[in-house]
Amino acid sequence: MEPIYLDNAASTPVSPAVRAAMAPYYEESYGNPSAAHRLGVAASEAMDRAREQVARAVGARAKEVVFTAGGTEANNLAVLGGARARRDRGRHVIVGPTEHASVRKTALALVDEGFEVETARLDAQGALDLDWLADRLREDTVLVAQMLVSNEFGSVYPVRRVARLVRARSPHALVHVDAVQGLGKRELSLGEFGCDTLSISGHKVHGPKGVGALVVREGTAIAPVTHGGPQEHGLRAGTQNTPGIVGLGRAAEDAEATRPAAVARFAEMRARFAESLSRMDGARLVEPGAPAQEIMPGIVTMFVPGVPASVRLHHLDERGVLASAGAACNAKTKAVNPALLAAGLDADDSRRVLRFSLAATTTDDEVARALEVLEAVNRELETVQS
Amino acid sequence: MTATEIGSPEMVLVRYGELALKGKNRGSFEHALIRNIRAACEPITPLFVERRRGRLTVVPERRVGDVARRLQDVFGIKTVSPAWGVEPDPERIAQVARAVLADALLDHPPGAEIPFRVQSSRGDKAFPMTSVELDRFVAPRVLEGTTGLKVDLKHARLVLGIEVRTERAYVFVRRLPGPGGLPVGTLGRVLCLLSGGIDSPVAAWLAMKRGCSVNFVTFHSAPYIGEASKKKVVDLVRALSRYQPKSRLYVLPFTEVQEAIRDHAPSPYRTVLYRRMMQRLASRLALREKSLALVTGESLGQVASQTLENMTCIGAAADLPVLRPLACYDKEEAIDLARKIGTFELSTIPEPDCCTVFMPPKPIIKGRLEVCEQAEAALDVEGLVERSLAGVEVVDVAHEGA
Repeated sequence: MEPIYLDNAASTPVSPAVRAAMAPYYEESYGNPSAAHRLGVAASEAMDRAREQVARAVGARAKEVVFTAGGTEANNLAVLGGARARRDRGRHVIVGPTEHASVRKTALALVDEGFEVETARLDAQGALDLDWLADRLREDTVLVAQMLVSNEFGSVYPVRRVARLVRARSPHALVHVDAVQGLGKRELSLGEFGCDTLSISGHKVHGPKGVGALVVREGTAIAPVTHGGPQEHGLRAGTQNTPGIVGLGRAAEDAEATRPAAVARFAEMRARFAESLSRMDGARLVEPGAPAQEIMPGIVTMFVPGVPASVRLHHLDERGVLASAGAACNAKTKAVNPALLAAGLDADDSRRVLRFSLAATTTDDEVARALEVLEAVNRELETVQS
Repeated sequence: MTATEIGSPEMVLVRYGELALKGKNRGSFEHALIRNIRAACEPITPLFVERRRGRLTVVPERRVGDVARRLQDVFGIKTVSPAWGVEPDPERIAQVARAVLADALLDHPPGAEIPFRVQSSRGDKAFPMTSVELDRFVAPRVLEGTTGLKVDLKHARLVLGIEVRTERAYVFVRRLPGPGGLPVGTLGRVLCLLSGGIDSPVAAWLAMKRGCSVNFVTFHSAPYIGEASKKKVVDLVRALSRYQPKSRLYVLPFTEVQEAIRDHAPSPYRTVLYRRMMQRLASRLALREKSLALVTGESLGQVASQTLENMTCIGAAADLPVLRPLACYDKEEAIDLARKIGTFELSTIPEPDCCTVFMPPKPIIKGRLEVCEQAEAALDVEGLVERSLAGVEVVDVAHEGA
């Protein structure tokens, strides 16, 4: 039997439409998009169209779209390139409290270059602590990175507020928004967020893996991270991945088109998860920051007491339901994710957090069956334990 | 951070210049402006545009911030203000104004004291207060408990605007600059001779700014130059397409013309003669598509051959007025503008254009018209023109993203 795939925040299947759009660029228009002959021009024109598709999906201009080899690379370019281009203005960097490793660790890599890196805080409820941030922003702050939607909990951070706090206090700072989990789930808008850069990834929205984009507001200084040819306004050297870029363009357009309907369905599905958990002693949804911050309903993170999440996940996998473990505590440092602490979970509890993530293609029937399986597994594991 | 979180603005107030608004021009001016606003913003959101009392109200379904950015590229617009709507009731207006002001203060460094005022205008005379009364009603209510503001009617840096209409009132603080100029299309159509260089796209942009709708013609000397050179010109048209609703590019074959001139005309005159042929071809196209003038990127003295004498020789071949917006610009000024309008990066991509094909070793500096005419007597000018026009390729470019 086909598995029920509920790990869409990790990756999604490529849609048939995206695959069909990509196909001609493998075997027909395979020229190097920088080449002067017709096959090069055809590839370059295909990228132009993809650039416009991505631009429309994020409310930007086509020339503001820089294609990269995925979300991680886009985040690296924003963080390293943004900070380095401003090093004469200061060396102070702030990253959000629950950033993806591609932002968090990249920022830490700047420490070796003489930057001072701070991590923003959550308040007692698990919402971004804007007072703390306002207080820490300085004249010499050159980069602030705040994700839009948490990959772990679906928490939606107030990036617009962050951008404005930064503008008023740190006139030289670049504001980066990692919107990888936001595409197709929230309206992405360079103009509304007021940020300088915004990253997206193809494979989270039924596009191919290994392709993403950094949207760079016109006039924003970024130092390149990869060096070589002049591709992508000199910001990302290397022959572009034409088929992947074409796929990303189509996937972004489709994700934006299906967004309102998908999000409405996610909310209904999420309610069914909540209802199911309410019948189980001690189990509940993990919603840090709510209600001050919204939760993007497509990421359903839950705490289920009893056996560790890994055991429950193996049981689910065996019965065809694929999900993932939530943010556990750091194995080395034993530091618990601050969002979990705010949600009232300790280090021990953090190993009992599961994440189910939905896609536009997830059906009601799949959710119903997944919940049946989850409930059956829970009953079974309860017996095992006692 | 206890300030009431206020959502996105509901609409954008658009103010436009008054200069061209005399008499019957006004209607067509506004009509063109609305059409251009739609072309610029509809690729990212459906929207509703209303004309009211000498300004426009643009109500996007969503992405109001992106819409405001795009409006800043629409010629004819003086300023835009993202605004929040509220029922036209003094108490409610004051409430929303308070939230809008709290939101606006996020943009100001803490600690500074900002000179502030309220400035109302009232379209609905049935509203129970005059503008001044409304200012006085709202000001104390928004200032209560707010720090960092001091009322200063004369030197206010933060102006809380209120516009009251019959069915709704609008509150705003930001006034973002538009590009000025006149709406594209109000002054008729022109045809711009576009090379891959820095100047001609800037010249086209300046013509658009003064209300011209600009179509383009470029000259292509295949197989001496390739597809990528043509694409570079298409890319330039596309980069300029964010400033007008639609653009058309004519690509005219130019190889035969250049070969004929190379083979039959005095070598120093080649460049001037190429350019005379371009003016002829462009004039013919322009008349055919009802363009009223030609636009070129010519600039006095920019290269040794861009002299008044040569400009005279070249211009004499045109059948229409030739606009040369950059004639008296310094190169640096043109480059600055090219950067600002987003064409510089494309223009500096190294791709040959037809001007670089068959360059004479020693071009004439002070050309004489009678020599040009004499040289052309040896050519089948009419035949060359006819055959080039017959080979025209048309590339239509919609507004960026449409």
